[in-house]
Amino acid sequence: MSHRETSLPRGFESLEPFVDYWVRESNDERRAARSTAQMEDIREFYDVVVALAPDAITYLEKFPLDAMPDDATRLFKLLLAMNHAAIAVEMHGAPRAFDSPWPAPVRIAKGPWPYGGSIEGAEIGGGFR
Amino acid sequence: MSAVLQESPAQAGKKHEIDENSFTLAAGLGTGPVPIEPYASPAYFEKERERVFRRAWLYAGRMEQLPEANSFFVKDYEINKASLVISRGKDGRVRAFHNVCSHRGNLVVNQSCGVAERLTCRYHNWAYRTETGELMGVPDLKHFFDFDKKSCGLTPVACDVWEGFIFVNFQKKPEVSLLEFLGPFGKTYAGIPFFNLDETIVIQADFKANWKLIADAFAEPYHVPALHPATLAPGFAHPEENRYARPLSARAHGIHRHFSAYGNPQYVPSETSKVERLVYVQETGGVLGGDSAENARALTAHPAINPTKNPNWSADVTWIFPNFNIDYSTGGFWTHEFWPVEYNRTRWTLKIFIPKTMNLRHRLQLEHYACRWSEVVLEDVTNCERIQRGMESGAKTHMILQDAEMLIRHNLHVLDKWVNADTVAEALQ
Repeated sequence: MSHRETSLPRGFESLEPFVDYWVRESNDERRAARSTAQMEDIREFYDVVVALAPDAITYLEKFPLDAMPDDATRLFKLLLAMNHAAIAVEMHGAPRAFDSPWPAPVRIAKGPWPYGGSIEGAEIGGGFR
Repeated sequence: MSAVLQESPAQAGKKHEIDENSFTLAAGLGTGPVPIEPYASPAYFEKERERVFRRAWLYAGRMEQLPEANSFFVKDYEINKASLVISRGKDGRVRAFHNVCSHRGNLVVNQSCGVAERLTCRYHNWAYRTETGELMGVPDLKHFFDFDKKSCGLTPVACDVWEGFIFVNFQKKPEVSLLEFLGPFGKTYAGIPFFNLDETIVIQADFKANWKLIADAFAEPYHVPALHPATLAPGFAHPEENRYARPLSARAHGIHRHFSAYGNPQYVPSETSKVERLVYVQETGGVLGGDSAENARALTAHPAINPTKNPNWSADVTWIFPNFNIDYSTGGFWTHEFWPVEYNRTRWTLKIFIPKTMNLRHRLQLEHYACRWSEVVLEDVTNCERIQRGMESGAKTHMILQDAEMLIRHNLHVLDKWVNADTVAEALQ
């Protein structure tokens, strides 16, 4: 096995092809990844990750949220990205809301902890300075 | 008139009651078309700047942003071309100052927040006391002429706190106090048990439309089934019982206002929404947030919240004039700030207060909320940009509002009073 094939915990190898694109550091980056992806790619990721999600949740629940081994952290971020894929698959049937442009004027300036990300000043409603 | 279409005899007996009394007439408002000039006219915008944003009490932040003595944060008010420092003293008092050095007019603080005893202008190191704005130190003082240190503090700005929400007023001496400005709203909505104040999701947008268009988008649920068919409608409308998401109540509170949104009590994620079903872990809430039943009970017990105590309730939108919303739901609360930049440009911040992440599944659910919210607001923001174009085209001079859009009518009514009144007392009548 090459290094890439083992970047996820054992049992989750079938998610490996999605690591490069869907493992992102913040809520806003995951949203951008989904918004700019092709629908067939989103669907492919969605089908694989949803099938493995219950096992992945059970596996990851063993670790503290912000102190997982690297391979588990990658899997965690794929589960976070799963929510974004679900917006496209379960709600819009398209990568983005109907008639919405990209780049979009909306950004998630601060997401939930951990791996939500934060733009400077967002907490006080600044972030425009 | 019935809000329910296709009523069948079998269903008629158990239908959800929709209040068909007119919200608009009850608020003492007219019913005719309203001018769109306030959205499309640069001249009107200048009047708003001078007569509304320079005279009304404006939202600055929450007390949680000032956790200890000498905490401060900076808040920019582009509409008034101002940058303010808001600080907390050892006496617990919150004060606001122009973030402008008395020496040569530079901005003193260039970070968004912090804790410090003194604030130093980096141009020549003039230093000010954070809690009072007094000038503390001037390098090479002896070479200034007839220097009066006492008169060279940061310029104070009127500042007051209501229910943990900090407001400022740009009048040198405000004509009315914050409590007078809030009027009946301040009394009705006092004592609400806020929770989850320490964690937030923040969504922002900078877009090409008048500030009132985005405020209007959150002031009526009539558009929800059409504009948000996938993201919101399943939770906020019902195909038989409340097809057009008619509000449960909508009232004026002096110059401020609220509406209560219907919630589909049968809402559960559909079979095909596998991810939403997988991450749905909270006891209460709908599509926009969830929390413990205990918090929700304390909130819904307050007489101001869902005032008709309708069981099919999802959220209350309260719009504090001119540009601030505090919204409440069984899943928690959120605020909107709609900041005008130009007559056709707006900066908007939505802050959603959320429970601390409890576990993995909860974290996944919070991500889902943030995703859904950002899609909802994307639908609204891009729609506002299209409305702005339509309004500026000159094709129409007026817009037509229905009863569920009462808050928009009320805002334009109040706004016109402020724009035309020579005194705030007159504007408040």
